[in-house]
Amino acid sequence: MKTAWTRRSFIATAVTLALGSALPALAADPIKIGLVTALSGQSARAGEAITRGLTIAIDELNASGGVLGRSFELVRRDDEATPAKGVIAARELVFKEKVAVLFGGLDTPVSLAIVPIMNQAKVPFMGPWAAGTPITKNGANPNYVFRVSAVDEIVDKAMLQYAQKNFGTKKPGLILINNPWGASNEKGLRAAMAAKQVTPAGIEKFESNDIDVVPQLTRLKQGGADTLFMAANVGPSAQVVKSLDRMGWQVPIVSHWGPAGGRFTELAGPNAKNVHFVQTYSFFGNQRPVGAKVMKMLMAKYPDIKGPDDVTPAVGVANAYDAMHLVALAIKNAGSTDGSKIREGFYKIGTYAGLIKTYDKPFSPAVHDAITENDYVWTQFIDNKILPVGMVK
Amino acid sequence: MKALPVAALAAGFAAAFVFTWVSNDYYVFVMATLALTAIVGIGLNVLLGLTGQVSFGHVGFYAIGAYTVAIFMVRLKLDFWIALPAAIALSALTGALLALPALRVRGPYLAMVTIAFGFVVEHSIVEWDEVTGGQNGIMGVPKPLLFGTPLTERGIALGAIALTALLVYAFWRVSRSSWGSAMRAVKDSEVAAESVGLNPIAIKALAFTLSAGCAGLAGALFSPLSGFVTPSSFAFLQSILFVLVVIVGGAGTVSGPLIGATIVVLLPEVLAGLAEYRLLFFGALMLVVLWVAPEGIVGEVLRWIRRRREPVLAAPTADAAMVGADSSTVRTALEVKGLTIAFGGVQAAVDVAFAAQPGAVTSLIGPNGAGKTTVLNMLGGFYRPDAGQVTLGARAIAGASAWRIARAGLARTYQTSQLFGSMSVLENLVIASPERAGTEPRAEQLLAFVGYRGDLHARAADLPHVDRRLVEIARALATRPTVLLLDEPAAGLSRDDKGALAQLMRRIADAGIAVVLVEHDMEIVMGISDHVVVLDAGTPIAAGTPQAVQQDPAVRSAYLGEGHGRPAVRRAGGATAGEALLEVGRLEAGYGAEPVLKGIDLRVTAGELVAVLGANGAGKSTLMRSLAGLHRPVRGSIALAGADLARLPAHRVVARGVVLVPEGRQVFPELSVLDNILLGAHLRRDLSDAEVEGMFERFPRLRERRDQRAGLLSGGEQQMLAIARGLMAKPSLLLLDEPSLGLAPTIINQLFSALDRLRSEAVTILLVDQMAGLALALADRAYVIESGRITAQGTAAEIAAQGALEKAYLAAG
Amino acid sequence: MLVVSAIITGLGLGSMYGLLALGFHVTYAVSATVNFAQGSSMMLGAVFAYSFAVRLGWPVPLAAAMALALCALYGILVEFIAVRPFARRGSNAWLMATVALGIVVDNAVLFTFGKEPRGFNMPWATGSFTVFGIGISPLQLAIPAAGIALAAALHFYSRRTRGGKAMLAVVQNPDAARLMGINVPRVISGAFALSTVFAGAAGILIAPLFNVHSDMGTVFGLKAFAVAILGGITSAWGVMIAGVVFGVVEALITALLGSTYTQILSFALVIVVLAAMPNGLFGRAEVKKV
Repeated sequence: MKTAWTRRSFIATAVTLALGSALPALAADPIKIGLVTALSGQSARAGEAITRGLTIAIDELNASGGVLGRSFELVRRDDEATPAKGVIAARELVFKEKVAVLFGGLDTPVSLAIVPIMNQAKVPFMGPWAAGTPITKNGANPNYVFRVSAVDEIVDKAMLQYAQKNFGTKKPGLILINNPWGASNEKGLRAAMAAKQVTPAGIEKFESNDIDVVPQLTRLKQGGADTLFMAANVGPSAQVVKSLDRMGWQVPIVSHWGPAGGRFTELAGPNAKNVHFVQTYSFFGNQRPVGAKVMKMLMAKYPDIKGPDDVTPAVGVANAYDAMHLVALAIKNAGSTDGSKIREGFYKIGTYAGLIKTYDKPFSPAVHDAITENDYVWTQFIDNKILPVGMVK
Repeated sequence: MKALPVAALAAGFAAAFVFTWVSNDYYVFVMATLALTAIVGIGLNVLLGLTGQVSFGHVGFYAIGAYTVAIFMVRLKLDFWIALPAAIALSALTGALLALPALRVRGPYLAMVTIAFGFVVEHSIVEWDEVTGGQNGIMGVPKPLLFGTPLTERGIALGAIALTALLVYAFWRVSRSSWGSAMRAVKDSEVAAESVGLNPIAIKALAFTLSAGCAGLAGALFSPLSGFVTPSSFAFLQSILFVLVVIVGGAGTVSGPLIGATIVVLLPEVLAGLAEYRLLFFGALMLVVLWVAPEGIVGEVLRWIRRRREPVLAAPTADAAMVGADSSTVRTALEVKGLTIAFGGVQAAVDVAFAAQPGAVTSLIGPNGAGKTTVLNMLGGFYRPDAGQVTLGARAIAGASAWRIARAGLARTYQTSQLFGSMSVLENLVIASPERAGTEPRAEQLLAFVGYRGDLHARAADLPHVDRRLVEIARALATRPTVLLLDEPAAGLSRDDKGALAQLMRRIADAGIAVVLVEHDMEIVMGISDHVVVLDAGTPIAAGTPQAVQQDPAVRSAYLGEGHGRPAVRRAGGATAGEALLEVGRLEAGYGAEPVLKGIDLRVTAGELVAVLGANGAGKSTLMRSLAGLHRPVRGSIALAGADLARLPAHRVVARGVVLVPEGRQVFPELSVLDNILLGAHLRRDLSDAEVEGMFERFPRLRERRDQRAGLLSGGEQQMLAIARGLMAKPSLLLLDEPSLGLAPTIINQLFSALDRLRSEAVTILLVDQMAGLALALADRAYVIESGRITAQGTAAEIAAQGALEKAYLAAG
Repeated sequence: MLVVSAIITGLGLGSMYGLLALGFHVTYAVSATVNFAQGSSMMLGAVFAYSFAVRLGWPVPLAAAMALALCALYGILVEFIAVRPFARRGSNAWLMATVALGIVVDNAVLFTFGKEPRGFNMPWATGSFTVFGIGISPLQLAIPAAGIALAAALHFYSRRTRGGKAMLAVVQNPDAARLMGINVPRVISGAFALSTVFAGAAGILIAPLFNVHSDMGTVFGLKAFAVAILGGITSAWGVMIAGVVFGVVEALITALLGSTYTQILSFALVIVVLAAMPNGLFGRAEVKKV
C-alpha cells in the first residue's frame, strides 16, 4: 500500500497549518466536520477507513454544491486510542475549530468520554464505528449523540442466535480481546446467554500482541466448548484461528466484525473461512447503484484501491459514508449549523437511499441508532473476499 | 531564589491564571492538563532530580490517585474533599511500599522495577472489574463541591494552577532544606553521604513517598476534571512522558518541570493539525530538544548563568575554636586490633593494629597496594572486616554501617574527593553538620579555617583540585568528628599547597581531633606525624616515631627495593645520543581547572631506557596516559619520529607503535592468558605462532598458565602478562607505568631482570616506577618530576648521585 | 496436556524474548546503554523481510539477510544519533532519545509500510504436526533453536574471533582495550548493530506466527527488557535462560490460572525477583570502590 507521504503533502499540511489560523473568517466559510479517532498506532487503518468514507461523501456533497450554499471541510485529530487525548481533541474541535458536527472513532471508551462534552456543548456527535451501547443510550436529555454503526448488545444477541440456529450451540466458549471492546462484548454476550439460559464453557481474554492463544483455547476446549464466540480485531482474530490450527481443533467460530478489518485470509490462513462474522456492508458481490458509485469514487480517489479487497475495513468506510450523508441532510433540514437545530434536523430526515440500506426516518428522539438488527449480514472470508455465508461452499 | 527568576515565575503563573480565566473551554482544559502534568513533574523531580532515582512507573501513582477519587465519589458517594486526602495518602503509601524493593536495586534494575509496578497497577485496574469498572473505567465522576456549588472545569484548572505554584514553592523549600540537601547528597555520592552520617535508605524512601504523593494529587484532580477514568489513560507511554517532562525541563531545577510540562503538553496541541503525523513530528522534535539541551532547558540556562555569577568569597581568617575543640567534643582515641580482611582469597589486610590518640597525627604508610585504603575503608564502615575490633572511645564500631560510624564521630575524606558535585561549597558543609539548621556561620568559619578562599556558592563539581581537597576536609570537620581519616589528601597538590595542607592537618590535631593520615608524600608524613604505622602487603611491618620508622631497614627495603644503594649495573653501550624517537614539548594536561602537567619537555632516543621518577601525585601517570592517548585533550606536542601524536585517540597512537603497559596491569580478567596475549597483537595481521611461542619462552610462567583466566593469576604473573601483551604489538616505544606496584620483592627482582633483558634487545622503553633504585639501576637516563614539572634530569648515575631522590621519596636525606 | 502445550508455547515465546534481551545485553555490556526502543528494531526486521520477500518477491534467505543488514545499519544509526551524543557528555538523556527515535521509526513505518497488519506466510512455517495430541508448528521449534544458535554464535563470536575478543576486551576494561589499539567507539557502534540484528532476527522469526505491522514490537521490546534485567543484564546466557523462564512462566500462568492474571502476576514476579536478587538471576554484583 502506498500512502500520500510525499514532500508535497507535507508542505501542504504545513502551509495549511500556518495559514489556517491566520486567515480571517469569510462569509461563506465551509462547514467544518470534525473527526476524532485513532490515526496512528494499531488502529490507524480503521481511522483511515473512516477518513476515506467521510472524504468520499464530502467530495460528493461539495461537488453538488454543498449544503446551505456552503461546502464541507473535514478537520481530523488523532486520539492515539486514549480517552485523555480524545477529550482534548474533541474540545479543540468544538471550542476552537467550531465544527458543526463531530464524528467519533472506533474506541468505545474514547467516545464515551467525549459524549458528556458534546451534550454539554450542544454539538451533535456522530458515531460511525464504536459500538458500545451506552454511547447513544447515555441518559442525556436532550441527547446529541447519533450513530450509524452496529451496537454490541444487539450484535451479541445476534451472535448467540446465529450460533444456536446454525451450529446447535449448547456450551459456547468466549475468546475476547483484552481491551474495552472485548469487555463490552463480554458484558453483552453474558447478558444474551443469561437471557437464553446458556452457560458458557469459559471466558478467556488475550492481548493483542499474544502470538500464541493455545493456552486460553485449551482451557476452553477442556471446559467443553462446542462453539467459539470471538470478539477481537483482525490481527488477534487471526492469531486465534492459527492457534486452533495448531491444536487441530475444528470448532465453529461466530465472530463480531473484527475479521473484516483487514486481510483476514492472508493473516489467518486457509481456515479463515471457518469464521462467520457479522457485517453491516460488503463491497463484494452485486452492488446496488450506490455501492457501485462509491466503489468507483474510492478507486478514483485512492490509487491503492484496486478493488473491493483493498477497501478494509469496509464497515468503517460504509458507515462513515452513510453517516456523513445523513449529517448533511440533518444540516439541510436545520437550515443552519446551530447544534440544537441540527439535532432536530436528524429527526426530520425522511428517506435516504444510502450505501448500507435505504434509510427511512432513521432517527427519532427515542432512536439514535440508524442501523438495526435487520441490517446485519452474516459473512465469511472466501479467499480474499467477504461474502455472505453459504454463497460459496 | 533570586529576584529575577521569582518575578519571571510569578509573571508566568499570573499569565497562566488570567489566560485560563478568560479563554474557551478547550484552552481551559489544556491549561488544567498542563498544570496536572507539571504537578506530577514536580513530584518526579524530587525523585529524579534531587535524589537521582529514576521511575518509569509514575503513571501507577497517578492512576491510584485518579481511581481513588473516582471510586470514592462514584461508588461510595463520598465527598471530593474526603476523597482527595485519601487519594494522596494512598499514593504516597504505595510509593513508600514500592521504595522497599526499589531501594535494593540500581540503574536499569530500578527502571525495570518501576516499569513493572506501572504495569501491575494498570492491569490490576483492568481486572478488578467490580470496583474499577474494568476496561470501560468509571464514567460520570462529579465535579467537587466548593461551598455547596460544583466547581467548573475552569475552577479546577485555576485551582490546579494555584496548586502548581504552591508546589513549585514547596519544591524550592524542600530542595533548600536539610532533607533536600540530603537527597542531593545521596544523588551526588552515596558513599560520601554515608560518610557524613546520612542514611541513604531513609532519604530515598522519603523521596519516593513525596514523589508518589504528588502524582496521586495530580491524579485525584484528573478524575473530576475529565469526569471519567479508564485504564487506557494510564498506559506506560504516559510514564515515559512524565520522565520526559523532568528531563526536558532540567532535572533538579525548580522551574524545570514547568517548562518540561509546557513542552510535553503544548507541543502535541500545536501539532494537532498534523493529525496522523503528529506523533511522528512529536518524536522528532523531542530528539531535537534533547540534542540542543541534554541537561534540560532550564538546566542549560542555569549553566549559562552560573558562569556569569559574581562569586561570594570565603572569609580570609578563622576562629580555630570553631573546629571542634569546644566543650561538646569528647576527646576519644581510636583503637584498632587484629583488623583482617580478604578479597576472593587474597589477604588485603592482616592483623592490623594501632591506636590513634586525640590531638595526634597517626600516619599509615606503605608502598602502593599495601592495603592502606582498605584499612580506612574498614574503619569507615565501607568494608566489613573479616575479623578484628575497632573501638571509638567505649564504642565498638567494627562492621557497623558507614552512616552510623559517621554519626559516632568518625569522619573521612577520599582519595578521589567525593564532594556533592551539584551542591554549592557551603551546602556541602551544611548537609554534613549534625545540627542541619543555623550552621552556615560555622560552615563559613570552617572553610576559612581550612584555608578555602574561593566562592562559597560555587558548585563543588566546578572547583579546582586543591579546593576540592580543602572543602572535603572542611566538610568532614563539619560533622564534629572526634576522629578524622584522610586518604592521600596531598595527592596532586603543588608544593606550596602541600605545605599549607600539612600545617592544616597539624592544626586539626591540635584542636583535639585524632587524625589518621594515609599519604605518600613522605615530607608531609615525616613532618607532622606523631606516630607512623608501616604496612606492606597488608601486614604491619613497623610502627613508631617518624625517625624510628625512617631508620627501619624493613621499611627502606619495602620502599626503595633491593636495588637501592647498590651500584648501578651499567651496561655496555647505551644509545644516549642520536635520533630522538619520542620528543615531548611543553606538554600540559589536567582534569579540571588546575593542570597536572605543567610543561613537560622530554626526549627518548631509539634503543634507550628512560626512567621517569617522582613521588605519587607528581603527574607521572598522567604523563603516561597523555603519551598513550588515553588522556585528551592535551596541550603541547608529542612527536614520534617527527609525527604528531598529541591529537590522536589511544587506538591510533597504538597503531603508530607507542604502547602503554598501564598502571595496575589492567589485564582482561575473564579472558585466558593466551587471549590476552593475542589481544596485544590486535592491530597486526602478520602474527605468527612462533611469535606467541617466543613470548612464552620469554615468560615461561605464562606458558604454564596459558589457558587460565587472567584474573586468577598472581600480581606478578599479571604484570608479566601485561608486558607480554604490550610487546605483542611490536611497539617502537614501550611505556611502562609502575610495573612493580604491589608486588613482593622477589617478584620485583624477576620483573626487573625481564626488563633488563628487553633493554639488551634494544627495545625502547619509557619507565615510570616508584622503585627508584631499581629503575635507576636499569635506566640509561632519568627525569625527576615534581608537581607536574621536571626538576632534574641526567644519566641514571647522575640522578642517583644527587640524593634528591631519597628526599622526594622518603623525605629523609 | 494443558501444561505441556503451555510449556511449548512458552519455549517459543521465551526464546524470542531471550533473543531480544540478548540485544539489550550486548550494548549494555560494552557501553552501559541500551536502545530502549528495541521493539522498533524487531519490527523493522519483520517489515524489511516482508517487504523484500513478499512485495519484491525475493527468495526468503536473501530477503532475511538483506533485512538483517539493514537492521545492522539502523543499529549504528541509533547509537550515532540517540546514544552517543548523550553518553559522551555523561548524560542519561539517551533513555529518552532512544524512545523518541522509536516513536519516529514506528510512525515512519506506519506511513510507508502501511497501516494494515500483513500476514507473512511461509509454507514451511504455517503447517503443524501433532505429537502426543499436541499441535506444534515447526516455527515453535525453530525459534528456540534459532535463539540458542544465535546465543551460541554470539558466544563463539566473542571467544573465537578477533572482533569478538575486541568486544569482550571493551566489556572488561575499555581503557586497556584502547591500549590494544581497539577502536572503542566503533566496537560500541558494532554492538548496537549486533543488538539490532538480534532484534531483527526475532522479528523475522516471529513474523510468520504473528503478523507484520508498525506496532508489533512495542510490547515485546518491553517484556524483553524485563527479561534482560531479570537474567542480570551482564550475563549473555543468563539473559537467554531468563527469556525462556519468563515465557514458560507466562504461558503456565495463563494455562493454569487463566489469562486474567498473566500480566499482573508476571510483572509482580519481576518486582519480587529483583527485590530478592538485586542483580537479577545470573548477574554479577558490581564491585564498589572508593
